[in-house]
Amino acid sequence: MSNTAQSGGDARDDQTGRFVRQPNGRVRPLSPHLQVWRWHVTMLGSILNRMTGIALYFGLAIVALWLLALAFGQDSYDLFSRFSGSPLGLLIWIGLTFSLMYHLAGGVRHLIWDGGAMLSPKDATSLTWLSIGFGVVGTVAFWAWLFASGKVQL
Amino acid sequence: MSKARFIKDVKVSERHGAGEWTAERLSALILVPLTLWALWGAAQVAGEGYEGATAWLVQPVNAALVAALWLVSLWHMNMGMKVVVDDYIHRPASRLTLLGLSSLFCLVLAAAGVFFIARVALGSEPMPAGFGV
Repeated sequence: MSNTAQSGGDARDDQTGRFVRQPNGRVRPLSPHLQVWRWHVTMLGSILNRMTGIALYFGLAIVALWLLALAFGQDSYDLFSRFSGSPLGLLIWIGLTFSLMYHLAGGVRHLIWDGGAMLSPKDATSLTWLSIGFGVVGTVAFWAWLFASGKVQL
Repeated sequence: MSKARFIKDVKVSERHGAGEWTAERLSALILVPLTLWALWGAAQVAGEGYEGATAWLVQPVNAALVAALWLVSLWHMNMGMKVVVDDYIHRPASRLTLLGLSSLFCLVLAAAGVFFIARVALGSEPMPAGFGV
């Protein structure tokens, strides 16, 4: 199968100067990217869901280290706890808590939409604000409780 | 390609997209209660040290739920990373390599995690006991 460029009529139609050669060799208009769209909170919700998912992907490796430290006994667990309790460690854990809380709410949001409910722009917007709110408030409440109960200290 | 099939005027996937779609939703649905439970469990284990953490994980219910959470999470995140890679990486060689690495990463974490959970839950001596050391 030849992969020659088919730059026929499309390229000559270019009135924007934004046509690009696609990986398959064809010349096509560049589709509008992030900066072209009018910002809307559902965009943020979707992007956050993907970003927190990626964070959790690598965060699970840290949880694996926790399990490893636990299986290796007191000394390795103390070492892991020292890192966990350090300012950098706490920052990572708080970030992962937010990722988990938001990804949970974002996932439920997605499941609601998959079920065909709350798809009007107004409902979709409120559902997105609700899931972001859950992520932020949940994370703050979780860590406020951990610090207040003295389980975690700086 | 075989003739397109339709259910209620919706085109049925000609390859395997529908199965992946269902698996993503199913794993997400299972993870909702497990994640809430994990947050509760994490709050109990935080700051309790080695003794507290082992005492918690040695309980069969906790060990079983952690193992379930561990495996379903890895299943879910492997599928999630596949979507991300499919979206952004277009060169077939790079895409397949990354997908392979991601699956390998998840498989290694799955095996290692279940092994560590089982060691602690069964009350084994701290590692490397039992490895001839």
